[in-house]
Amino acid sequence: MRRLYAILVGAGLVYMLFAFLGTISPYGNVNLSDRVSAHFLAKDVNSVDASKWVSGDKQIPSKMKVFGKKGFEDGSANVVTSIVVNYRSFDTLGEVTVLFASAVGVGLILGGTRRMRYGRKPNFILRVSTGILLPLIILFGVYIFVHGHLTPGGGFPGGTVIAAAVLLLYLSNEEFSLNMVVSKSLEGSMGSLYVIFGLIGLAVGGAFLFNFLPNGVVGSLFSAGVVPLVYMTIGLKVGSELSGVVAEIHEEREG
Amino acid sequence: MSANVIIGDILIAIGAFFYFLGGLGILRMPDVYNRLQAGTKATTLGTFSTVIGVGISKPEFLIKALIIVAFVAMTNPVGSSVLARASYLSGVKPCDCTKVDEYKGGGEE
Repeated sequence: MRRLYAILVGAGLVYMLFAFLGTISPYGNVNLSDRVSAHFLAKDVNSVDASKWVSGDKQIPSKMKVFGKKGFEDGSANVVTSIVVNYRSFDTLGEVTVLFASAVGVGLILGGTRRMRYGRKPNFILRVSTGILLPLIILFGVYIFVHGHLTPGGGFPGGTVIAAAVLLLYLSNEEFSLNMVVSKSLEGSMGSLYVIFGLIGLAVGGAFLFNFLPNGVVGSLFSAGVVPLVYMTIGLKVGSELSGVVAEIHEEREG
Repeated sequence: MSANVIIGDILIAIGAFFYFLGGLGILRMPDVYNRLQAGTKATTLGTFSTVIGVGISKPEFLIKALIIVAFVAMTNPVGSSVLARASYLSGVKPCDCTKVDEYKGGGEE
């Protein structure tokens, strides 16, 4: 009986796969104005009738806005980033606070004064390749959060990549120990800078974390208003915070 | 369909075949070291072939593809080597069919 169900479900999945593949237009021929992002950019999601979409009638949103010309959140080429930093920016502030609280908890439980030793020399291959890879990994992390408004990514993934570079340093070098003063002060100042951006938005535009800078040309590096600045602060904050967590895991108390 | 697209498709197919061999090796090999070498070798070569195939069939992507190949060539073997060393030092024995263990005592350096 279970085998029968499995065959039925499998056949259904294969049918859905082929039915789905039949509807995809070839590469380069996609009409981009049909996409969800177009509806988001047109601010016209509610007036589109979902039942007509199901029955096959394509509805173009009634009042299309020109990409990147109107609205305070249209300037970002990456729609997800535009939503996260403009509509949901207060939520992102909450996420950063949660991460800060968990980092404080890790520091309270695991923190110490002495660097923990692994008891054996690090791998030769790891030691040599860390010297080659470390600048590239840090550069890649910075690239991810600086280009957060253009490509997939953003502050949190970029900061995590930087923390991974610090973890690689800890694994490959017995003597290395992160300077906690630098990481803590960077974390604190970047967290306050994020709130300061929000307060500037409150003063200029009347809403907390308002996008107060001009949007510029969509797709260029200096565009999307406040999004790159916010992502730079979030990226540096998350990077230093998670580096601090990695450092505290590698510490032990005296005696 | 132009010639570079055909060459690129053939390279992507070769890469997919390498991925298949990697999965088969992880399923069939007897111990962790053989599985590691099957998985790493297959994913490294498969990624090379797939990414270069994409680069050849879309020439504007070729430089990016070569950079991706360089990064995979630098990171993937290192990760596999560190995993193998860690599992050796934490006491995972090779399977009984192993004839030569050249790493014996190598953990001390």
